[in-house]
Amino acid sequence: MSFFVVGYYALLLVTSCLAAYFNQRQAFLVLFSLTLVSFVLGIVGGVPALRAVATCAGLLLFAGMIAYAFREFLIYLSSDDMGKELRTAPLTAAFGMFVIFTYAIMGIFAPWIAPHGEAEVISSAFAPADENMLLGADQLGRDMFSRIVFGARNTVALALVGTTLAFILGAMAGLLAATKGGFFDGVMGRTADVIMSIPSLIFALLMLSIFGGSLAAPSTSFWLLTGFFCVVGLLFLAAAAEGAMGWLIGAAIAVGVAVGLALFGTSIFNASEVILILVVAIIYSPRVYRLTRAVAGNVVVMDYIEAAKLRGEGNWYLIRREILPNSTAPLIAEFGLEFCFVFLLIAGLSFLGLGIQPPTADWGSMVRENATLISFGDITPLIPAGAIALLTVAVNFVVDWMLHRSSGLKE
Amino acid sequence: MGDIIKLVGKRLGLGLLILLIISIIIFFMVELLPGDIAQAVLGQGATAENLKALRTKMGLDDPAIVRYLAWLADAVTFDFGRSIVTDEKVTTIIGERFANTLFLAAYAAVIAVPVSIILGVVVALLRNSVFDKVANVVTLSFISSPEFFLGYILILYFSVKWGIFPSIASLSDSMSFWELLNRTFLPALTLVLVVMAHMMRMTRAAIINLLASPYIEMAKLKGAPPWKVIVKHALPNAWAPIINVIALNLAYLITGVVLVEVVFVYPGIGQALVDAVSKRDFPVVQACCLIFAATFILLNLAADVGAILTNPRLRHPK
Amino acid sequence: MTNAKDQVLLDRLAEAARSGSISRRSFMNTAMAAGITSTAATGLWTSSAKAEPSRGGTFRLGAHDGNTSDTHDPGTYVTFSMIQVAHTYRAYLTLIEPDGSLGPDVASEWSATPDAKEWTFVINDKATFHSGKKVTANDVIASMNHHRGDETTSAAKALLSDVEDITDNGDGSVTFVLGAGNADLPWLMTDYHLPIVPANEDGTANWQSGDGCGPYKLDNAEFGVRYSFSRHDDWHLDGAYFDAVEIIVLNDPNARQTALVTGDVDAVTQIELKTLALLQRDPNIAIDNVPSAAAITMPMLCDVDPFTNVDVRNALKLSVNRQELIDKIAFGAATIGNDFHHSPAMPYWPEDIPQREYDPDEAKSLLKKAGMEDLTVNISVADSVFSGAVDMCVLYAEHAKAAGITINVSREPNDGYYSDVWLKKPWCAVQWGARPTPDVMYSLAYKDDAAWNESHWQNERFNVLLRQAKAELDNDKRAEMYAEMAMLARNDGGTVIPFFPNFVYARRTNVQHGENLAASWQMDGARACSRWWFEA
Repeated sequence: MSFFVVGYYALLLVTSCLAAYFNQRQAFLVLFSLTLVSFVLGIVGGVPALRAVATCAGLLLFAGMIAYAFREFLIYLSSDDMGKELRTAPLTAAFGMFVIFTYAIMGIFAPWIAPHGEAEVISSAFAPADENMLLGADQLGRDMFSRIVFGARNTVALALVGTTLAFILGAMAGLLAATKGGFFDGVMGRTADVIMSIPSLIFALLMLSIFGGSLAAPSTSFWLLTGFFCVVGLLFLAAAAEGAMGWLIGAAIAVGVAVGLALFGTSIFNASEVILILVVAIIYSPRVYRLTRAVAGNVVVMDYIEAAKLRGEGNWYLIRREILPNSTAPLIAEFGLEFCFVFLLIAGLSFLGLGIQPPTADWGSMVRENATLISFGDITPLIPAGAIALLTVAVNFVVDWMLHRSSGLKE
Repeated sequence: MGDIIKLVGKRLGLGLLILLIISIIIFFMVELLPGDIAQAVLGQGATAENLKALRTKMGLDDPAIVRYLAWLADAVTFDFGRSIVTDEKVTTIIGERFANTLFLAAYAAVIAVPVSIILGVVVALLRNSVFDKVANVVTLSFISSPEFFLGYILILYFSVKWGIFPSIASLSDSMSFWELLNRTFLPALTLVLVVMAHMMRMTRAAIINLLASPYIEMAKLKGAPPWKVIVKHALPNAWAPIINVIALNLAYLITGVVLVEVVFVYPGIGQALVDAVSKRDFPVVQACCLIFAATFILLNLAADVGAILTNPRLRHPK
Repeated sequence: MTNAKDQVLLDRLAEAARSGSISRRSFMNTAMAAGITSTAATGLWTSSAKAEPSRGGTFRLGAHDGNTSDTHDPGTYVTFSMIQVAHTYRAYLTLIEPDGSLGPDVASEWSATPDAKEWTFVINDKATFHSGKKVTANDVIASMNHHRGDETTSAAKALLSDVEDITDNGDGSVTFVLGAGNADLPWLMTDYHLPIVPANEDGTANWQSGDGCGPYKLDNAEFGVRYSFSRHDDWHLDGAYFDAVEIIVLNDPNARQTALVTGDVDAVTQIELKTLALLQRDPNIAIDNVPSAAAITMPMLCDVDPFTNVDVRNALKLSVNRQELIDKIAFGAATIGNDFHHSPAMPYWPEDIPQREYDPDEAKSLLKKAGMEDLTVNISVADSVFSGAVDMCVLYAEHAKAAGITINVSREPNDGYYSDVWLKKPWCAVQWGARPTPDVMYSLAYKDDAAWNESHWQNERFNVLLRQAKAELDNDKRAEMYAEMAMLARNDGGTVIPFFPNFVYARRTNVQHGENLAASWQMDGARACSRWWFEA
């Protein structure tokens, strides 16, 4: 019986008694069942098992404290109304926001945060962690921590933009199809079917074949991006514009905005990244389309839509004020997940040679490059995988909270 | 019911049209792909005359459109031709492999679909509890790593360290059904973990989305227990998005499992497709893609019909 | 019986056999020359040789690189798993012995006219096909003609382009008549495209049946998945210790490793080098790390600026730290390169050429001389070139920074790399398989008019020497010529050769092999199935 074991059980018992005394039912149940489980674990796994449990509990507690402090911090900073909203956020959501905030800071200030350069070789391959390298070195002897920090910038930016574009395109088309119905619905549905039924690997190869040699040509990527935005603009037009004049003016504005956005896009991302974003957007938008169409389809048949139609409201009003607010929840939930899938898709595309150009760091490829090491219990590939998992979980925690809010439940 | 049958008929007709469009896209895509079949077959070592001879032998000298029409003429009679590379019948190349793929997909689906829907309902019931959070964190962590990586981790524990399941899922004809299930358990488990989070979270989201509706409030006020409110009242109206996500994931189980096949050495159709693409073996690529496309179309149709059946209002579009 | 001097020789031979530094064939030849009968020599060999093979068991081999569209056609063999399979069920005229020398297979002996223009191969009269038919001159001629002529679709056509005629001498031998002398013809016969297959009535090769005259008979083939074999009892050579062989295609490196660790297979090809050190810790697994004649090259097109300038080419050759590449990309499993395509695993390797070291200062001054300080160049590479290829170029780019050179690494699509990038982009990374002799290698990729002169390098003296050396039967003279050519390639050529990767493969410790492993392919020259055995 070591000091640790005695302290461990004492702490558990004292806290569960306290919880019982103060009528914290859930806390008591958790704590006391943990005590009982610990007895069994202690017998089976010995002290190491208990230590592992204690470490996990400590980490959880730590995360909880950070989340709590961060929520208070946000409430303190924000206005009264926002503060009120934020107070309703569960700790998990606060934790999610904290992680997203940290990643954002990490990404934006990467060059200042990272102790070493993205491609800088500073030691031997797979050197263990020391005070100079927080997480050790990768296969070329580059600092893993710096690569993770830079990876946050490259991967998250790409995934975020790609997913957002996929959502704008897919959701807009879905909403429009649900409202307009008829021929338009049919055409959009079949187009989505065609894109989805081509396996994404083959589809990516198609992209390659079209842009093959000119992957690095900035002008190609600019025109592609412009084309993409024009299609999105067209969808908005179809929803909003009325009359020939409306179409004309709308079209002019749309083209202008598209060119502007494309210029902006190509100035931030290099050519191969732009193509990557487009591939992501095109592969994922049919999925979003189908979901939106299904959800909005359920909403469109509601009586209040009928009422609005009878009032003489236009499509744009219907979409904006009636259908969209009533179908956000599944869309938000989907966004949280697709965001994560996009990381993996980017890693998969780099498998075909279409991904981010070396030596730029991205998390998916960092997992892929060293994946076989896991078979020997080496944790190198787990570090970037963990970075992706943490962000996914964090985003989905926040999504859950928003879902809960938008559902209007008051419990 | 009559209008549903009409809808199914219409959609099947459209499905054929989609298949035609896809066959055109795939054909010209394979044409457009850099490199050519003769080069791919002979590898790095081919000379110009070799390539020419091989191209003639393979009948690649005709213009693309002629070759496509010839293929199409055969395809409408369900003759998918012979592989350009090995000169074997396409149906013999992919037939057994497709059966294997279907088996694995069915294996994974039988586990994943009920488990994730039940889990989704349970976490919706216990929303914001510890169980909800844990289930979410665990399933989300599973989908955060690439699937082949997940496969590696499962192999590490289940076959290298504990020795419970074999790491290679190679099949032979003499296997009993149980042996088959045992052999293919790890790839199936990988697939289950990959698709579960998506379906579970969608179930949860769709149900929670409905919980503030007046009719649910009504049911609650009536005094129905929470599980009954969810299962009897919320779930029926939440089916549309859930079925959609299920259809998507089922299709994924069939078309998107190349990496799992490679990791577990499972002789499925994905590997055949990748090999055929790398060799530019057009008839095989075409057949695989059409099978995938048909799977998608049928599953989507099923999802749409399911959505209509579960929401009677959709049956009478105004 | 034998005098004292012969006895000393025999003792030495026995010692050499024990340490494995001599092949069975050369042992027999020398021993018989020393005056002992062949039976006595065989007895001496078996009692002296270190490890004694035992027969039996089913050998399961996990092989990488298999494709569903593989076929029996020897002209289109391209994947490694098919090469492995080919060496198991088919046989070649000659073979490469574990010690790297050329040995007899279907041809029991061969000889040339002094100008090396006519080569006669005597067919081993014990060689039979699995169907029971004897191997005849007709079969040999049909097998070779499969790769010749205008109609052929064989990738080996270029190898036999010098062959003008093949004639049946009627006494169980065939004669190859060449247009130009080629001292290396018997070496060419080991090429994996050139197995002996039965002839059809009309003189064409019958490759479709899968019949062969190799050590094992093919029972079942699922291309790209698995192949099973059983021993061919009438095989004409010694070996084939396993009763049966199974070759399973395991394309994923992790699948190969775990299958080996869990004992699902007995040996695997191509170990991922990243995990080599970790795999070595397993006491049940032995790793074979064999220096090879395969090479990683980075050809610059010598007729495209800035590579037209020899100073630029040499500056780039000076600004790579080869040792670090070997440590970090090949994890030590490689032989250092010196910018000429001739590895120590090939015959005639010139020993006394100074190793080129990493010297960014020298590179800088060369660039200054060329007036091209702040040089920026692109290198194209794909992951499929070899595992770690992209990383290698990234590391190279880091090294070159010290010389003021900016190398932009451009990752190209895997698919179609060799048709769209290689020979087209001004600078790219390439992997070359092992070739048996320097002549084959230089004629293929460095000769002025070769289709694959990958660096577009034109050097008159080099090409004169190449032609002379090809027909030279005197080994010492040949070696001198190759040394001079190596120097020319190193100092004037357009190809950076960072290293020659080793063949690294693994087996479970109950699988045994002789002391030497052939360096021509992985798995003991792809002949593990007939040369290795299970520990009794």
